[in-house]
Amino acid sequence: MSLPSGMRSMTYAQDMAILRTKTHWTLFIGFLIVLFTLPLYLGSYWLGVANLIGITLIAATGLNILIGYCGQLSIGHAGFIAVGAYTSAVLTNRFGLPFLVGLICAGFMSGIIGLIFGIPSVRVKGFYLAITTIAAQFIIIWVINHWDITGGFVGIRVPYASIGGYVLRSASSQFYLIMGIAALSIFFAKNIARTRLGRALIAVRDNDLAAEVMGINLFYYKMLAFFIGCFMAGIAGSLMAHWIGFMTTEHFTLAESILYIAMIIIGGLGTTLGPILGVVFIRLLQQVLTVQVVPFLEGTKLLPAGFASGVTPMLFGLVIILFLILEPRGLAHRWNLFKAAYRLWPFSY
Amino acid sequence: MKKAIILGAILLAVMLAILPACATSTAGKVLKVGIMTPSTGPAAEKGSPMGHANLDAFEYINTELGGIEGYKVEVIWLDSAYDSAKVATIINRFMDEGALIWGTASSKEGAAAMEIANRAEFPGVVAFTSPVLYRPPQHIYGQLPDYGDDWAAFANYYMQNIWKGPGKPKMALHLLNNPTGYGARDAARALADKIGIEIVSVDEHTTTTTSEVESLTRIKAKNPDVIYISSTPAPTAVIIKNAYELGLYKPGAAGSVTIGLGHASITKALVDIAGANIVEGVYGVYPTVNWTDDVPGMAKVKEYVRKLHPKDEGNMDYITSWAQSMIIAEALRLAVKNVGYNKLAKGGVEAWRLVEKEGIQKLKNYDVGGLHGPVSYSPGDNRLSKSVRVFQIRNGTITPVSDWIDAPVIEYEKFDWFGK
Repeated sequence: MSLPSGMRSMTYAQDMAILRTKTHWTLFIGFLIVLFTLPLYLGSYWLGVANLIGITLIAATGLNILIGYCGQLSIGHAGFIAVGAYTSAVLTNRFGLPFLVGLICAGFMSGIIGLIFGIPSVRVKGFYLAITTIAAQFIIIWVINHWDITGGFVGIRVPYASIGGYVLRSASSQFYLIMGIAALSIFFAKNIARTRLGRALIAVRDNDLAAEVMGINLFYYKMLAFFIGCFMAGIAGSLMAHWIGFMTTEHFTLAESILYIAMIIIGGLGTTLGPILGVVFIRLLQQVLTVQVVPFLEGTKLLPAGFASGVTPMLFGLVIILFLILEPRGLAHRWNLFKAAYRLWPFSY
Repeated sequence: MKKAIILGAILLAVMLAILPACATSTAGKVLKVGIMTPSTGPAAEKGSPMGHANLDAFEYINTELGGIEGYKVEVIWLDSAYDSAKVATIINRFMDEGALIWGTASSKEGAAAMEIANRAEFPGVVAFTSPVLYRPPQHIYGQLPDYGDDWAAFANYYMQNIWKGPGKPKMALHLLNNPTGYGARDAARALADKIGIEIVSVDEHTTTTTSEVESLTRIKAKNPDVIYISSTPAPTAVIIKNAYELGLYKPGAAGSVTIGLGHASITKALVDIAGANIVEGVYGVYPTVNWTDDVPGMAKVKEYVRKLHPKDEGNMDYITSWAQSMIIAEALRLAVKNVGYNKLAKGGVEAWRLVEKEGIQKLKNYDVGGLHGPVSYSPGDNRLSKSVRVFQIRNGTITPVSDWIDAPVIEYEKFDWFGK
């Protein structure tokens, strides 16, 4: 972490601290206050958007560990989210188990399924691994659609999340649950990156042959990355199921899997901040285009009928392409440049 | 005199001040309706004209009918892009913006919004439905019969008008691997025994199928009397062409199987793709009239489509969504008439309950200008229109061969296998 000039770490604990200056702490506490008082200012629409961002963020953080840190390309992430969603739905609906049991089992079930589909990563990588994870996407969705216990194509209802007898009915209570778990996930991911595990994953990503020569067990660390990435996808799936209340496989398309990759690339691969920025950017862009831009353009009646609707996907794609061309290292990199310039101002160069 | 003038001036001023307040003015007062359609994304082919039709119909209601009971309709229209995650946020948006009722096009959007709307008691009308949206009935209403109803209506028609043999006819199902296909499967599972049909095989196909020779060879070995296909036009065309090539379907010939189609299959596109000679004689059910039907409601549909969205003329989905807007308007009209605007204007759950109880649930034989069957609410059955017509392809034209047939309600929730 880059620090203002003049900062010295006198102890190991200081050196390892995530928040190291008073400014860090002030901004962090201010951010938490704003975040956790959002239900006071936002209506249910924007709370819904915030919930969607929180759920996506948990899954994207998991995917970032798998792709960004360990370099294992997965194009089946929506499938792993589906495993978590349906595990939680089946356990709470069919077996009447508590939400927390469903949540934890959802994480473990996705993690285990991730391990199974991650095994080929020992022998194949890059595009070849991508193909096996695409297969995971299709196999998982096929199984869910053809298994009676999941409700198949009809779908399955999912009860409200509840903790210790308190049922989370309101959008704001769901917001606190989702944001609480999202915050824990980010903290967890941040710490993984700073440990032996994180360094091993990065070594595997950068040069797996060299990593193995240095004594890093490739099979163990690749499997662990798959398990952690898919575990977090499962947790996100469980939260999504209890938030939306009804699950069909239509929520978990291949396009959604690809969008997750786009989010972490736009945010910045291999950084903790990247998925946060990428998820917020993409989800807000979707909302702004859908909810604000298209109805406005259609309403002006200056354009041919349906033109604005047709142009939206192109605008969405164009923004992503421009982003990748102009800032290939992601929003996180741009943020770091901004911070550096801010610290050196007015003598930045 | 001076005092009289002053008194008169004061009285006039007071009257001018009071009169506007006393008058039951509707100016500036609106009834908000939330409409989402998949106008972009993988279902845009259907969603785009459906969105146009919704908006065109409300334009007609506002400009020519003077709104609903004098109150203009403000439509909050949003494109869902056929994306379930977006749907979940859009439904919240409708509630935040004060919409009294919402409508959407597809069962996918309906399913994604369903629980959020049901939990809030926010009533909605979905055009194309699957049973899970309203079985058991809650706050979501189906505009048209679902794919299961199609099967039930066709099966009854087949037994009464086509099947002449002894015993039970053998039926093979060929289903698209999504709710379009599985709606028919569930209805057959629930009703086949009762109607007296033996289901001999259930095969699946995908939207991208290019050959079904293998599955049809298996089906042929089971010697079915009728094949029922619930799918979309392109795969349906593949199946019928393959059946024709295998000698399983021989238009007009004795010993040929009968082919019946669900409403997503039987469109002009099917005839164009498969060829009129191959699909000759194929039966299908459809819940609305087509563009050539001379029904009272069609005149305005044609006038507005030509004026605002000429490219949509001929599209059956446009008729469906026009009718959906008319039904929503009628439900709101009844609610305003029964409880008054002021109670609805308060918004929130109380207003939604009133729209549902005093609007939607008061619908009784509402005629959508003949565009589809009459619209009524029956307790325990949230399907608003319950009728379909059977069509047959004759000389390349989709021709009605029956009047409106009522599809009986199927209480799926009573079966263990139905998704709960």
